[in-house]
This record gives sequence, C-alpha cells and structure tokens, in this order.
Amino acid sequence: MADFIKHPVVELPERKPEPVIPADQLHFSEDEKKQIQTWISRYPTADGAVMRALWLAQEKFSFLPPEVIQLVADELGMPYAKAYGVATFYTQYFKEKKGKYVLDVCTCFSCQLCGGFDMLHYLEEKLGVHKGETTADGVFTVQEAECLGACGSAPMLQITNGTYVHHLTKDKIDALVDALREDKVPAFTSVTLPQDEDEMGGNRRTDVAATESYGVCPVSETTR
Amino acid sequence: MSKAGDWRNYKRVLLPPVKDLHRLDVYEANEGYRALREVLTTDKWTPTSVTDEVKKSGLKGRGGAGFPTGLKWSFMPPVNPDVPRFLCCNGDESEPGTFKDRQLLEYNPHLVFEGILIACYAMTIRKAFLYVRGEFADWISLMEAELEKAYAKGYVGQNIMGSGFSCDIVIHKGAGAYICGEESSLMNSLEGKRAYPRIKPPFPAQKGVWGYPTTINNVETLACAPLIIRNGGEWYAGIGAPTHAGPVLYGISGHVNRPGVYEYPTGMLITDLINEVAGGMRGGKKLKALIPGGSSTPILRADMIDGVTMDADSLRAAGSMMGTSGMLIMDEDTDIVSWLRRITHFYHHESCGQCTPCREGTGWLENIVTRIDEGEGNLRDLDLLIDLCSQMEGRTVCALADAAAWPVRYTIDRFRSEFEAKCKPSLVASGLEMATV
Repeated sequence: MADFIKHPVVELPERKPEPVIPADQLHFSEDEKKQIQTWISRYPTADGAVMRALWLAQEKFSFLPPEVIQLVADELGMPYAKAYGVATFYTQYFKEKKGKYVLDVCTCFSCQLCGGFDMLHYLEEKLGVHKGETTADGVFTVQEAECLGACGSAPMLQITNGTYVHHLTKDKIDALVDALREDKVPAFTSVTLPQDEDEMGGNRRTDVAATESYGVCPVSETTR
Repeated sequence: MSKAGDWRNYKRVLLPPVKDLHRLDVYEANEGYRALREVLTTDKWTPTSVTDEVKKSGLKGRGGAGFPTGLKWSFMPPVNPDVPRFLCCNGDESEPGTFKDRQLLEYNPHLVFEGILIACYAMTIRKAFLYVRGEFADWISLMEAELEKAYAKGYVGQNIMGSGFSCDIVIHKGAGAYICGEESSLMNSLEGKRAYPRIKPPFPAQKGVWGYPTTINNVETLACAPLIIRNGGEWYAGIGAPTHAGPVLYGISGHVNRPGVYEYPTGMLITDLINEVAGGMRGGKKLKALIPGGSSTPILRADMIDGVTMDADSLRAAGSMMGTSGMLIMDEDTDIVSWLRRITHFYHHESCGQCTPCREGTGWLENIVTRIDEGEGNLRDLDLLIDLCSQMEGRTVCALADAAAWPVRYTIDRFRSEFEAKCKPSLVASGLEMATV
C-alpha cells in the first residue's frame, strides 16, 4: 500500500514546484488590495471574492502558478487547497504560461457547421502550432474553445478572455494576426440585431467604435 | 397553426427599437424604472401582489427548464429578519446554440436590473447576484458602468426612491464552466467553491447560497418582470401561445440566410421562423434537421416540424423541448455523425467530474461516436450507445448527464441510417457470415 502511495499510477502534480514569479514581485499593490477588499465586502464570506481575486491575479501575473494562488488564498484568508481547487476548475484561469495573446477559436456545433474548424486549422497552419500550443516567439497560443455564446456570428474567436472577433474569414485572421503582432487589439464590436437593422437602419448603439451585421455564415469545408 | 397571432406587426418589448437604450438616461426616458417606482411607492403593490401578478402572467423560466416563475417565487419561506435571503440572476449562458441573454445584457441591461429589483421586492430580498459567464468580459464592464450609474441615481442600494426598501446588485464574473448554468453549481461557484452541483432536496428556496433561502432565475425571465408590472399580467398572458405566454428571444444560428437574435411571441411556427424571419435556408438548400433550444434538446428531422410551434406543449408533442429557444438549423449537406461527435466532445469537456456515470459516460459517448465517425464503428456500437445513455440518465446529481445522453439517444433514433452507413458493414448484411460458416 505504502509503495502504491510512493509510486502512484497517475503522476501527481509536484506539490511545491520552483516558483516562477520572483519573490520581490509576488505581492499585490495597495490599490489591488483595496479592490479585493471591496469585492470581499460584497459577499457574505471572503471566499465569494476568490474568482474576482483570481482574475485580478491572472491579469497581473498573466497566469496562475501555485505561488500566485497561494498569494490569493492568503489575501482572502482561505486555505490554499480551496483556492487551488477553484483555479483548476475553470477553463479561463491559465495554470501554465500562455502566449501574449490567447486565441480561443470556437468550434462548438454552430461554429462547426459554419466553418469553425476551417478557421482553427487555418490558424494552426499559419502560426505553425497545434491547438493548445504556443508559438516559439511566445506571442500566440491557439486553443479550441467550447461554445462562446456568439452562435449567430459564427465562426468566431476570442482574444485572451476579452474581445470577440465575429464572422471569421481567412483574410480576417491574417489581418488580426498582423495587428496583434503590433499589439493592436481590435475594438469591441457590437453585432447588430437583424430587427434593429429593419426598424432603425442599423445598430442601436451610437457609442461603439465598431459594429457588424449578422450575415450568412460560410460553408464549412471540414467539420472535425 | 401559429399561436403567435399577427407576429409580422409585433412590437418588441424586451428590446424595443430605441437608440442607446442601454444608457440610463435613455432608459429613464422610455418608461425605465417606472415599474419599480410604482411597485415601491404605491399601495397597490405588496410583495404578495407582485408575485400574484407574475403568476397571472403565466411567465415561465427562459433558462431551459420552463418552470413557472411566479410559483418559484412563492416557494421562498416566510420572511425572517434574522435570516438573509438571496436572488441569483443566471447569466451563465453557455448552452451551445444559445446567445440571447448576451444581447439583452448589452442592449437593455437596466431592464434586467429593474427585473432583479422587482423580484427582490416580491421576495423581500436585499441582495442579488448577477452571475455572468467570464467570457462576456466586455459586456460585464459595460454593465458595471451602467450599474454604477443606477447606484448613483438611487435606483439600486439603500432606501430606493425613499421607500425604505434596500437592495444591492453584485455582478459576479464567472471563469468558463458550462456547469455553472446549473443552479446549484452556480451557488457553489458564487460561494467560492468548485462549481459542483448539489443534491436536491434541499431546494435553493430552503437552502441556497451560503445555506440561506435563494431563488435563481434566468436573465430573460427577470427582464420580463418590469414589463408585467408596467402592463399587467393579463396583457402578458395574451402574448403568444396561451400555455407558454410572453415574448421570447429566438436565437437562430446555422444554415440560414439571416441568423441572429429575434424577439417574437412564443408559439411561432418553426417553418415561419426559418423561412420568413431568418430569410430561408442558405443557398436554397433543403432543411435536414434542427434543434429547437440548445444542444440538450432532442433533434427534430425536417419531416417532424409540420405545424410545430415554439412553445413547450407543441414541442413536447413533436418529441423535443423548448429549452433556451436557441435554434440551430442544419441543411441537407450536414454530416449528423460529425455533428453529434462535436456535441459529445462538448459534454465530455464540460462534465464537472463529480458523478461517475457522467464523468466516465460522457467520455465513452465521445469515444464511441468518434469511432463511428472515423469509420471504425460496428453496428452494435449504436445499441451500446443507447445502453450507455440509459446508464447515465437520471443517475447523477444534476441533469448534465441527461443533457449529454439525450442528443445521442435521439440523434441515433432519428438518424439511424446515417450512423449505420458510417459503421463497418456487418457480417450478416454483407453475406460474409454465411460464407465463413
């Protein structure tokens, strides 16, 4: 038995791996601490703020290695194991270092039927990586995403848990990759409701930089 | 027969055609927060009468299950000032094929806030959580800015409009987990735990977030509350199908000329939605199949939709469900087996791993469907899949296992010949068995 524990069949993650974030950078600023306290005050217990605190930590450190999770846990006064459990449960928290821009290409069924896989494969080929991998220069990570809730404007992708890019085409991907190499992240795009187009002649919002209309989705070449 | 009446002249109410309605000043100029003011400051309304009005309206939950909203509200235990109670507004919209709540949150967030506040008043709740999936980061920032304005104007917070009623709204940002759309796992997620669903009973109204009485409603459901107060329950009950009343946001995606989110009454003919609302099939192709309300609802073949309308009764009779009314339309060229393979992949990825039948079952569903899709399957794999579905349905804490099993069961049932065509020919069918004997 003891032998089995010493040599588990499934390899266990190392309990205390070498920290990747230097100790002198591993802390929250006063402003960030204040922000976390504001979130804590909104929940009956401090634990409720853990997801927000992890988001904040991920934005600051770009991913969540164990020492960062420990930092969040300490800030909220919760056990490390519990914070670790939350951080590893959700797909949007990055447990390992990703590229500067993470491109989440949706291939869930609406996108699948409208060319999501075509776009994913094109992007993989263009950047020379498989899904889940990061380019050698560390700029891009390509991922296959589950439904991102933009089925009407399929195929689409999301840039690092943020902006949505709707109605992907190969040209659009080329332009996007070029823009991101120059650190130009596209602006938030509001997708116009078809009924608004009929009744108001366009998007109802006057305060957005970019709008787009729903349109016929492309014919998919492959569905896997 | 359509139950939607004169839908061509339907006037939208959830997303009325008003420029910049998402801004507080524009919303105020268009009857915004009028219903809340009426509820809080006139004697006509008490918590009970608000709930009764919602009951009278026949509003059913828009999140998928279609449970009567007024009835759900009345499940909350009697008020005890020592025991806090909570409302959760479920904006974790993750069901593949569903993209309606996001439009509501972008274009009419104050309607959602107002609905949350009215629901809180009806159940004497002082704190509401609006749970939005983490992928909607842009929309969350937009809503937070608008919520701040509503706080500044005194529509949310302490002593709203001098009525003595106080209520806070907290926007909670998720981080990418389909399971959080399930109400009990949403509660665990809010509490800062892994989002594992809980066993019911106890139901949320008895023991919800942090163990306190809680009600959970979908974004679109709560957005209907101000409309019901403004115009009355009878007005609402008169829209669309009598047994499933109200306006609905239909999210139409797939092989149509004009996909998108459309607001129309319930009870629309599916054929009207495809051919007239969404502009017909792409490239003039023929319809092959559709799912009426998100990936979990059983698929309908083109020959099954004659006269079927988008309401719970009609869809049940046709062999499917209303779900979230996120419709996916598939044309004749669609490879149903590959399509099902992607769905099984989705559920395998999203199973939270708490219950064995689901954690293992979803993986095997994907494995076996993939095998068939790759041309390596045997005919008996189809029966194996059905058997596997039976082992999963109803045997887990939440309904994700059912939601994963139904598409497989019904797709095989309704498109068996396509699966058989991808399987290796059986020895019996090819006559080889006799030859070897």
